[in-house]
Amino acid sequence: MDLALTPEQEMLKTAVRRFVQQEYPKDTLLQMAATGISCPSESWSKLAETGWLGIAIPQEYGGEGGTLTDAAVLFEELGRGPVPGPHISSGLLGGFTVLAGGTQAQKREWLPLIAKGERSLVLAVTEADYGWDARDVRLVATHDGDGYRLNGSKSYVFDGLSATHFLCAVRLDDPPNPPLARGGKGGSVGLVSVPANASGVTVRSLPGFAWNLSEVKLDDVVVDKADLLGESFDSGWDAFQEAAGRTIPVLTAYQVGACQAVYDMSVEYSRTRVQFNMPIGRFQRVQDHVINLVNQLDAARWTAYEALWKLDTDRPAADAIHLAKAVGSEAYYQACNHAHEVHAGVGSMTEYGLTLHTTASRTLYHYLGDPRYHRRLLAEALGL
Amino acid sequence: MDFEPTYTEEQEKFRLEVRAWLKDHVPASIVHPADPIDLSYEQYQMRRELGRKLGEKGWLWPTAPVEYGGGGLSLDYSVVIEEEIDNAGMTLPPYYDSGGKLGGASILVWGSEEQKQFFLNKIFRGEVRTWQLLSEPEAGSDLANVKTTAIRDGDDYVINGQKVFVGSGLGCDYMWTITVTDTEAKRHENLGWFMIEADLPGITIQPMDLLISGGESGAGSGVKNVVFFDNVRVPAFNLVGGENEGWKVATTHLELEHGTGGRISRNWLVDRMFDYCKTTQRRGEPLAKDPNVQDRLVDIYIEAEITRLFNLRNYWMRHSGATITYEGPQASYYRKQSGLRQATAILDILGPAALTYDPELGAGEGHVEAYMRSALIALHPGGTTDIQKVIMARRIGIGREVKEKAGALA
Ligand SMILES: Cc1cc2nc3c(=O)[nH]c(=O)nc-3n(C[C@H](O)[C@H](O)[C@H](O)COP(=O)(O)OP(=O)(O)OC[C@H]3O[C@@H](n4cnc5c(N)ncnc54)[C@H](O)[C@@H]3O)c2cc1C
Repeated sequence: MDLALTPEQEMLKTAVRRFVQQEYPKDTLLQMAATGISCPSESWSKLAETGWLGIAIPQEYGGEGGTLTDAAVLFEELGRGPVPGPHISSGLLGGFTVLAGGTQAQKREWLPLIAKGERSLVLAVTEADYGWDARDVRLVATHDGDGYRLNGSKSYVFDGLSATHFLCAVRLDDPPNPPLARGGKGGSVGLVSVPANASGVTVRSLPGFAWNLSEVKLDDVVVDKADLLGESFDSGWDAFQEAAGRTIPVLTAYQVGACQAVYDMSVEYSRTRVQFNMPIGRFQRVQDHVINLVNQLDAARWTAYEALWKLDTDRPAADAIHLAKAVGSEAYYQACNHAHEVHAGVGSMTEYGLTLHTTASRTLYHYLGDPRYHRRLLAEALGL
Repeated sequence: MDFEPTYTEEQEKFRLEVRAWLKDHVPASIVHPADPIDLSYEQYQMRRELGRKLGEKGWLWPTAPVEYGGGGLSLDYSVVIEEEIDNAGMTLPPYYDSGGKLGGASILVWGSEEQKQFFLNKIFRGEVRTWQLLSEPEAGSDLANVKTTAIRDGDDYVINGQKVFVGSGLGCDYMWTITVTDTEAKRHENLGWFMIEADLPGITIQPMDLLISGGESGAGSGVKNVVFFDNVRVPAFNLVGGENEGWKVATTHLELEHGTGGRISRNWLVDRMFDYCKTTQRRGEPLAKDPNVQDRLVDIYIEAEITRLFNLRNYWMRHSGATITYEGPQASYYRKQSGLRQATAILDILGPAALTYDPELGAGEGHVEAYMRSALIALHPGGTTDIQKVIMARRIGIGREVKEKAGALA
């Protein structure tokens, strides 16, 4: 047994940490949060130049061919920021979905662009009637000549504003399979790539406590047969499922890095903030908050990395993936709450930086399924 | 025992009178922004105007003594007013007035007769809006560690220092402020409270940028500020409770702020969530029909009921003259922590619809989104939940050698 990172991974970790400190300092992150625009940006271009966006994409498709654990090391450091941008939604999930379900031509054409950050292929799955199951996909695709005509909306699309292309989950309106709305079983669910600037596509940012979520409307958007992921309509959803399974533990590593940053901040503050003539860390109530926080952090860390190890070594991992997401999402959410208790007033000030995490933690709680959803899938995976 | 207030015929008649009056006097154009930061100047003025009219009738501070501009009403009648105001979607006063509430109550206990005549009349008639200025960079939980000084100079005190996390948007008339009146004296024996006119030379107000400033609707502060005092001359008349007697005054102030006052009000959050879940379809059925959603909705309901009953009990205890010990901080602690648990339940039920005030997708016209932010930030004002626990332990008699008593309330 050896739970240490490899020397190469340690080097990567150091390099990414330095990069994040340099290219994504707090002021930059605050500005991105205020404007909602993180990509395109100078920082994003620099991130793309490093080649890290393609860390887990095979070399034959222009990536670095790293393991999922390699990717996790990278994303843990990005999570410390928290660095925004379509690195998870496109770099990981988009890339893995194409890898799992794309035709050879699509892999050759799309993956190198994703790896270089020249294309942001953002998954658009959920709708106003919110859920991550195939049955929640209602957006209609009808046959139109050789291609398809799309009508409907995608809601709460993570990184929607940064997308150059959406990989939209759509339901085929096949005459033998009338759509759900008309009492039918509904046609099969597939994935279609839609350029963000295609005619009929509008993207609207969702304001408030959400973190980089958008509404994407498709109004009579016509796409080519070549834009359908894979050879047949049915292959899309399975590809998404497989890709989500690989993305989730890396996403939870991002949450681990974020928890780590929130923890570091809280420890530092407990040491330096003085009330009643002593550092507040001396108060057992403050210690409780910090200890709750570190327990969340470590729980997220080890569930994530074991899942990654299982996937990297081709072991059965379904249960570990759901465990990691259920624990990691809850951990980041609660870690931020504990940190707010430690910091009291100061933590609520935008300029301090904690609220960047608080905001991110709420959106990531739900992205790719919330803790309760993954608990149910875990129960299934455990044969209950 | 009777949990339901029983109303006499006179009270019911009075209710109709209040209801009819409110119908005539609450402007139809009054709005309740989800985040009080969005309260406009015009809307604020509308609320102030309503406050003055309520003040004229003695309904702004119904139980406050008539000789100081209050309503002099018994609890039975003030309950009726509060219920009707609540039904009209508002609070008393219908705008943020933390210093009026807490400063007013403190002056009632510790002010001189002249001070009561002068300040309370303005407050209870709704002529002024007052902020409370306690916190400083080095004095949050440790309030006694304030550094702002008030030094006697002839007939005035000269005030220097900085307050943080105070006030609201759209300004105020008075600042209810704790200072150091003797820089040499021991902790707790060096403090003094002032009612400071807000437009005196040397006062600068700088808004802070927070995740949210807490509070709901038009009565929330909307904005918190840093207030700087640079050689501000305040007449000695405005010192309340005496030089170096400030800690005594603070115990009254804090007692109320820690929730001992109690209150009776509906829980808008429960109403809103139930409404939304009954009328929003998910997968072809109302959300409220999903057993998982029901579990979480009931969690929200249970939290709200316990909070409501703690507040109801405190209200009753205060007005029936019962001896209050740990109950004030308990209500505050419970309300804050359960508020955060309710926010988590909402996130579980609604998903990201809870996180946006987008007009199409946001739940509850943006009120839910604002609540998701304020449930977290509301943990801190008026003493953190940790501090509420510290006080509870002392009052229960396990925190210190001597069991601590609650602060004096009028
Ligand atoms: C939205 C908002 C509105 C506010 N409104 C006002 C206002 O109108 N007027 C005003 O004067 N102030 C206001 N405040 C300030 C508020 O009262 C303080 O934030 C609060 O008292 C905590 O002080 P602090 O932020 O300095 O935290 P600190 O006191 O520094 O606390 C940091 C941490 O240490 C813990 N701690 C401190 N001492 C102890 C102890 N003895 N035992 C155990 N734990 C301890 C705290 O619980 C917390 O976890 C407001 C604050 C906010 C966020």
